[in-house]
Amino acid sequence: MATASSLPSASAIRYPVFTRRQLMLRDLFEGCMAWRVWLLLAWQDIRLRYRRSQLGPFWLTLSMAITVYTMGFLYGHLFHMDLHTYFPYLAAGMLTWNLISLLIVDGTNTFTEAEQFLRQMKLPYSVFVLRVIMRSLIIFAHNVLVIVPLYFVLHIQLSSACLMIIPGLILLSLNAFFFGIVLAIIGARYRDLGQLITSLLQVCFFLTPVMWSPTILPVKYHLLLDFNPFTHFVEILRAPLISTMPSLLSVEVVIGMTCVGILLAAALLTRVRHRIVYWL
Amino acid sequence: MTHIALQNVSVEFPIYHANARSFKKQLIRLGTGGKLLKSAGNTVTVKALDDLSFELHHGDRVGLIGHNGAGKSTLLRVLSRIYEPSSGQLAIEGKVSPLLDLMFGIEAESTGMENITTRGILLGFTLREIRERAQAIADFTGLGDYLSMPMRTYSSGMRLRLAFGVATSIAPEILILDEVVGAGDANFMDKAKARLNELIDQSSIVVLATHSNEMIAQVCNKVIWLDAGKLRFFGDVATGLAQYYAATHPDAVAAND
Repeated sequence: MATASSLPSASAIRYPVFTRRQLMLRDLFEGCMAWRVWLLLAWQDIRLRYRRSQLGPFWLTLSMAITVYTMGFLYGHLFHMDLHTYFPYLAAGMLTWNLISLLIVDGTNTFTEAEQFLRQMKLPYSVFVLRVIMRSLIIFAHNVLVIVPLYFVLHIQLSSACLMIIPGLILLSLNAFFFGIVLAIIGARYRDLGQLITSLLQVCFFLTPVMWSPTILPVKYHLLLDFNPFTHFVEILRAPLISTMPSLLSVEVVIGMTCVGILLAAALLTRVRHRIVYWL
Repeated sequence: MTHIALQNVSVEFPIYHANARSFKKQLIRLGTGGKLLKSAGNTVTVKALDDLSFELHHGDRVGLIGHNGAGKSTLLRVLSRIYEPSSGQLAIEGKVSPLLDLMFGIEAESTGMENITTRGILLGFTLREIRERAQAIADFTGLGDYLSMPMRTYSSGMRLRLAFGVATSIAPEILILDEVVGAGDANFMDKAKARLNELIDQSSIVVLATHSNEMIAQVCNKVIWLDAGKLRFFGDVATGLAQYYAATHPDAVAAND
């Protein structure tokens, strides 16, 4: 019986030796370099979702506008807030929250959604995390139009603080990248993570000052805000959207969270990167 | 120099019990020190490839044979670097281009032209390079003006034409093919066969899984016979096919004696 006897005995083949850490770093690097792929996938996602509708992605803008304007009117009166300050505060907060929750919810499904690609060709895993971030940013860019009329109607003076939108978005995207890797991996392994996260996010939404302002919360409970990372994630984007500077504490917390995210993502991706495709 | 080398490569698949896929149940199990939901910790692993070693070099055209479930597709995915071996070593030198599923990446809502672009980008081309190739692909598919229509309006034959045209538009160094035959009118099938042969000729190494012994005899100079994840035979085509035939048709062989 002839088996694998035809193997050349002495071969000049050198087997590449990479540590898992090197392979992890390579995944991140090659993923970022493949910008054409994630830009295309993100754009295609948006295009396909709205291809058959007249307004296209501006449906998002419209539904966001309806939500924000009706909520602003209703809750402004319920909380006895000055509409002049409450309206932009709520609108900017809702826009930011929407972006964050989109990043988290879609983030848990990143790899399961990309199963088709991952099982058919070799692409870095980070490509799909970047796809989700890009897609969420495109949606955010459509939604953000909702706040523009408020600038005019309420005569909000735009200042240099608005420029902080850019570092704010960069910080959020960095966190979305590293925590996105963690969520995507756990989401690929445990399929009920998505549902769990969705219900937790609901709770977080009420605990985070988005609809309500911290000023109406008694000072002795303010620790509750400071220890909630979502408070700070919302703050760093909401503040510049309404032409104010984000608090230093928030910026520090978000940078700290970024470091935590980097460590978590690196550790997890190093350990299980080579197994992810087997979970799909 | 292009080559593929495997040394004691094994691939193990985890088969998860439904409970083992649940985050909530894992939390309960860990939280109770394993007293509750014991079964959630159990996973079975299936050895899809078992201790494979072989080397392929420039000019090798390898036919992959074996029953359904013998591990052919798994091996193709290992060679395409999609599955990383659970143990053993793998060395691949050369750009690998897998052609595992023709319809991969094809979006029904997008137009034919958009799908050509998508696939090109996925393969690592720039928009300019795609534009240069698009005309050749369009000509090959013979779809003309249909290319600006959404794919969902295509007949299945037209869809196959486009998928095939797009998928075979690159000349890879290492070509990995999985059972690439399908429906289509006779005229197109001839064109497709010619295209496939052209692609095989251009590639340095070809690995091809198929149930068609005819195709293997025509194209390949080596066969790999997989049986339950193990390498049963690696060597020249005639011997390999004869042994495979003898093993799968014991009655016919006995009758001939």
